Amino acid sequence: MADGAASGAGAFTVDVDQNSYLPVDATRVDAIVTVTAADGAAGPAPASEVLEVIVVDCSTSMTGSKIRAARQATVAAIAELRDGVSFAVVAGNHVTRQVFPTHGTAVADAGSRAAATRLVERLQAEGGTGIGNWLTHVGGLAREHPGSIKHAILLTDGQNGESPEYFSNALNGALGAFTCDCRGVGTDWRVDELRTIATAMLGTVDIVADPADLAADFRSIMGEAMGKSVADLALRLWTPRGASVRFVKQVAPAVEDLTDRRTEAARQSGDYPLGSWGAESRDYHLAIEVPQGAVGDEMLAGRVSIVRPGSGDTPEQVLGQGLVKAIWTEDTALSTRISRGVAHYTGQAELAEAIQEGLAARKAGDEVTATARLGRAVALAAASGNEGTARLLGRVVEVVDAPSGTVRLRRVVADVDEMTLDTRSTRTVRVRGDG
Amino acid sequence: MDDHRFCENCGHDLWMRRGGAARAPSGPCPACGTTGSNGVVGANGFGVDEAGEDYCGTCGLRRSDGTEHVEADLGRVAGVSDRGLVHVRNEDAMAVGVLDPPDGPTLVAAVVCDGVSSVDSPELASRAGADAALVRLLHPGGPNMKEAVGEAATAVAALADAGYRNPPSCTLVAAVVDPGTGGDPTITVGWVGDSRVYWLAAPDAAEPARLLTVDHSWAVEMIAAGALDVETAMADRRAHAITRWLGAGGEPEPDVVTFRPAGPGLLLLCSDGLWNYLPGAADLAEAALPRLERGGPAAVARALTTIALDAGGRDNVTVVAVPVGPSDERRY
Repeated sequence: MADGAASGAGAFTVDVDQNSYLPVDATRVDAIVTVTAADGAAGPAPASEVLEVIVVDCSTSMTGSKIRAARQATVAAIAELRDGVSFAVVAGNHVTRQVFPTHGTAVADAGSRAAATRLVERLQAEGGTGIGNWLTHVGGLAREHPGSIKHAILLTDGQNGESPEYFSNALNGALGAFTCDCRGVGTDWRVDELRTIATAMLGTVDIVADPADLAADFRSIMGEAMGKSVADLALRLWTPRGASVRFVKQVAPAVEDLTDRRTEAARQSGDYPLGSWGAESRDYHLAIEVPQGAVGDEMLAGRVSIVRPGSGDTPEQVLGQGLVKAIWTEDTALSTRISRGVAHYTGQAELAEAIQEGLAARKAGDEVTATARLGRAVALAAASGNEGTARLLGRVVEVVDAPSGTVRLRRVVADVDEMTLDTRSTRTVRVRGDG
Repeated sequence: MDDHRFCENCGHDLWMRRGGAARAPSGPCPACGTTGSNGVVGANGFGVDEAGEDYCGTCGLRRSDGTEHVEADLGRVAGVSDRGLVHVRNEDAMAVGVLDPPDGPTLVAAVVCDGVSSVDSPELASRAGADAALVRLLHPGGPNMKEAVGEAATAVAALADAGYRNPPSCTLVAAVVDPGTGGDPTITVGWVGDSRVYWLAAPDAAEPARLLTVDHSWAVEMIAAGALDVETAMADRRAHAITRWLGAGGEPEPDVVTFRPAGPGLLLLCSDGLWNYLPGAADLAEAALPRLERGGPAAVARALTTIALDAGGRDNVTVVAVPVGPSDERRY
């Protein structure tokens, strides 16, 4: 039986994939919730409601081919700005300096794009790296554009020089102000550092090992950013009295744990930020602990609403809704049925974990753990058809038998291969056979 | 022609008696005691959302719509509809009625609908289909089975407007008994899908027991077309898939049969929740007729429902019994 509930009138569809039948003593409910912008509801937002900030690392380590590539990439990104979009280009080292315009933001047109391009072409590399400071600066620009889609590209090649406290305060201060796609160029930066930022800022993280590839990457990020139609969406989860939310994770296109991002909303409800949204579809894995029911009881274990916050005179809007259910049964044929989606994404989340733990163990010299975890990753990647990740794993381990996860660590592994695997470990594939 | 049908004071229908519908109870949630004023999700007091689902806004438990077990007994017709032992909801619905106009024959009609489980809110389709068909069958202008099924189909199709991804749909089986002027009753049976009507009588009766309907199901149609033998057809995964239904994407074209029984008997309407366990007309007659003797049609409906539940109750069960022929002439 299909458990998906119609979402009614709304710009988003919310499909729920779960086995709602629970054995008598069970209290945990798992569901995969697919949120899709409905056809026709996802045209790009008006340009006047989009803010784009490009932050380029200009520290000393960028000297040479990196700063040249960064200039080209920034110029390429500027060329992608739609007319009417507000924008700014920021050069970051141990201080933060606006390249264009001098203060605030400019509106994109042929003239402003040309002016910005001229200034970007003169960027030089000098000084240290203070990423927290850059984020604080962009946060300030973003707050001048309430209601807009606010997006930043952050490019760096090095490790942050700020104290952990300073950085973490700055990151917390910028939360929710804008979304940020982070790119590490070369191999001298730290994956976990950029991943922390990208996760917190609801963006992506990737490695651009060869500076020559930067321009194409920036162009594609900008293409995505310019297509966003709705800002600041939230996933609102209502749960019954006595229930607790074990986790809320985005599981496609990549794994992002949103559990700790909850803010209390209406009665028995919490909001999880989703950032801005274009013509796209994302999957979320919810795990909810509910009070035990009697055989034959049907309980609404969760009600997922996609909410656009109100601003000014515009009231809050519910754009789509789906129901997660729990039905207690003595029929084991029903309760032992496995939801394909839940099983698949549980595997994809474990895959990401296994890679990150395996690489950490390898770095620490614990070859036994590294071999076991990376072997498990190879098996999971093979079983789920995650060919991209399987290929990256193959550069770090020698695969003896993929299905059983039998591997040998490679003696010599290029930094770029290890970092690429780490960076892309959270990328998931959707359930096989689905469009 | 029905000027005097409704009470001038309260509008009550003076000619027709009906049964079979269940009303959703109002008041506090029986599980946690929440009332509409101190805990709501939706606008109606108990969190009905856009999909028409009904859960308590505090504890999340599905609120009963009163259809877990429904009984109707109008004397001339009686029925039971039960959720069964496995399904969460009762997606079956029945409507039974007697029209007793002052200057016309007393009509007895019954409708059983079985919601298609794989769609959204099938219980709404069953309810709408059963009610619409019954009203048309008990029209003072005379019953018209084709029109009754057509109106049921329209009522079910109208539910699709509510924005369902998979709009509600259901089967339908209906029967109307016209007593006739000379004491020779005419029975008209119409159906769409695999709910059934049986004629039940003793083995030596003038009109022996038999199944009056032919399921609109994959297996039966394959067998009827000579494409497959019984064994192969019934073993197929699609054997029980229905080929006609009311609602989105369905073909609501009914088959209609009319017959005048040579003797008295019992008309039995049921959903597959009963006949999956007891498909043979002779077996059904053996189980039903002694109860009819002792307790009337209500006892028959209850007894056959119990048989289905005792056998496992894997599906919703609906059983409606209509005795046909003058009671003093009935020989079972």
